[in-house]
Amino acid sequence: MAPKQVRFKCLMCGHEYDGMYDHENVTERSCPKCRSNSIRRLPDAKVAKS
Amino acid sequence: MMDVGRHPKVELFTNSEVENVTGFVGNFNVTIRKKARYVDANECTACAECAKVCPVAVPDEYQQGFSSRKAIYMPFPQAVPSAYILNMDNCLGNNPIACGKCADVCEKHCINYDDQDELVNIEVGVVITATGMDVYDPTEYDEYGYTRFDNVITSMEFERLICAGGPTEGHFIRPSDRKIPQKIGFIQCVGSRSQDGRGNPYCSNICCMNTVKDTLLLCDHYPGVEAKVFYMDMRAFGKGFEDLYMRSKEEGVKYVRGIPGDVVEDPETRNLLLTVENTTTGKLEKHELEMLVLSQGVIPRQDGDSIRKLLTLSQTSDGFIMESHPKLKPVDAPTKGIFIAGCVESPKDVKDSVTQASAAAARASILLNAGKTKIEAITSQVDTELCNFCGICAKVCPYNAISASDRKAEKPPTIIAAACAGCGACAAECPQDAILMRHFRDEQIMAQVEALVKDDPEKHLLTFACNWCSYAGGDNAGTARLQYPTSSRLIRTMCSGRVDEKFVMHAFKMGAPMVLVSGCHFADCHYINAVHWTQKRMDRLWNKLDKLGIRVDRLQLEWISAAEGQKFAKVMRELEERVQTVTDEEIEHTKKVLAEEEAKAEAKKKKKAKAGAEVSA
Ligand code: SF4
Ligand code: SF4
Ligand SMILES: [Zn+2]
Repeated sequence: MAPKQVRFKCLMCGHEYDGMYDHENVTERSCPKCRSNSIRRLPDAKVAKS
Repeated sequence: MMDVGRHPKVELFTNSEVENVTGFVGNFNVTIRKKARYVDANECTACAECAKVCPVAVPDEYQQGFSSRKAIYMPFPQAVPSAYILNMDNCLGNNPIACGKCADVCEKHCINYDDQDELVNIEVGVVITATGMDVYDPTEYDEYGYTRFDNVITSMEFERLICAGGPTEGHFIRPSDRKIPQKIGFIQCVGSRSQDGRGNPYCSNICCMNTVKDTLLLCDHYPGVEAKVFYMDMRAFGKGFEDLYMRSKEEGVKYVRGIPGDVVEDPETRNLLLTVENTTTGKLEKHELEMLVLSQGVIPRQDGDSIRKLLTLSQTSDGFIMESHPKLKPVDAPTKGIFIAGCVESPKDVKDSVTQASAAAARASILLNAGKTKIEAITSQVDTELCNFCGICAKVCPYNAISASDRKAEKPPTIIAAACAGCGACAAECPQDAILMRHFRDEQIMAQVEALVKDDPEKHLLTFACNWCSYAGGDNAGTARLQYPTSSRLIRTMCSGRVDEKFVMHAFKMGAPMVLVSGCHFADCHYINAVHWTQKRMDRLWNKLDKLGIRVDRLQLEWISAAEGQKFAKVMRELEERVQTVTDEEIEHTKKVLAEEEAKAEAKKKKKAKAGAEVSA
């Protein structure tokens, strides 16, 4: 699976942002706003709907 | 190097590459590709007759391109073995032979154009990785004019120019007119301690003292020479280093605290004009120099990826190899039986490299002499009855401790206990719950979950904390007497990678308002990259909760290092507040939904078992 652009959501402050996701090489996530690591990668279907 | 080459107990493979490493401590099998050198190293007397007749001339890498070498050459004067080598990329061609001059003159008939690479397999008990480093390429700092001005050189190039065995036989001349310069400048920290996105943020450790040494060499070879060093801080912290620094100052070398912003060249004199803010005086200064040396930093080896993967080594964020423990096991890699030494671990000077290499050799010989090793108490074990041979565990294991299963042959995987480090990632990922983690069994952790949420579950945040970082971070917060709510209940696992989906779901089913999974930062993971599995699992869990209509922010994830007591306390305070936002209705709804899900799964399992029984009947 090639790295792709996905949408992340911080479950601490609610901030959403776009970033790269590589299934083979997962990297540490941290909210650009509040620094929390509770960053959920939103499923593609959910992003499309919103 | 000579001593190593001659040592009866050392077998040296030069011009070779490690192609594969399998096995585990005490039983590694290493495949080495001995590349064709086209010259019989045993017969070659290094008479140099071949190089004399070779018509090809290419820049000599060892001399930093200041002189040329032939297609058949000696890599450097002290090379071991002391024999010539033919670079086929440079040779005019051997198939058909287009030249053949070197073979004609070689009296010993050492040259064989049809030489082939050879694969060699060796069995070793331990592996020491000492693959070194690369140097930073300063072309990125265009303001210093390295690619534009001949008289701007790097510290590596300086080394060749001042060396008696170098291209100028030790005469330090400037490239533009081959005259001996009288005013020489050095710019420190080129590519190191950078915050502007270029170069690297870390200190390269060796460049300050290398420059001090270079200035002393200059003053010794050319008394009266004017040397200036432009720096941020001079770091002279090793034994005798401060004395050297003082000696350099006494010799008249000027140290200017400030990094030049710009370098321009006078087209007539080819001199270099620097503008620098002297941060000691606060004044803007201009300096005219005849030659400028860029003190380039140290970077991780750019071709080190394959060896890193083969040896399951992990990297710190700067790209150097991570040690098993920075204080207690500084030369051990996380994988047992693998050690690290020298700049592969971090930038360091010769003395530190030798110290580390000696330590690695001593650590290795402890294992070799003992002939046996204690395995971890916490290792995994496969329940062959439950395993469905899916092969997931083998993919998950950061240590390659699990041999692949075979679905067709219905062969379950085998776990090499000596290689298993006990992270528990395989047990958490196994879809069949077929892996048992000694001392951290599923039943034990589930029982802890139940015990901790038994009384007033709605009031407690349930936290899974990894042994090495987050749990230690909690300790750190405690010893620093940082204030945080006492309502959190902690369950320790060796790695966050051990936290199974079902532990989290069980906590919610038992009425926990919130669950926190915490572990080491990726760069600190004590199990190479087991945290990657934690992150992937959390994504899956959040999606599951979402599907079931359970608020996803009731499951949180934090990476907390052992030193981050402050972060631990802050997270606890924030989550305590969030616990208050979870209503009783929500908790009841969650319990109901998860109980239904469990019942459905149970029914499905029974149906499957029944179908299986009918088929076999
Ligand atoms: S993950 Fe579990 S089921 Fe799959 S092969 Fe490994 S032990 Fe067997
Ligand atoms: S516990 Fe960790 S190290 Fe041991 S076999 Fe499982 S994944 Fe590999
Ligand atoms: Zn946030």
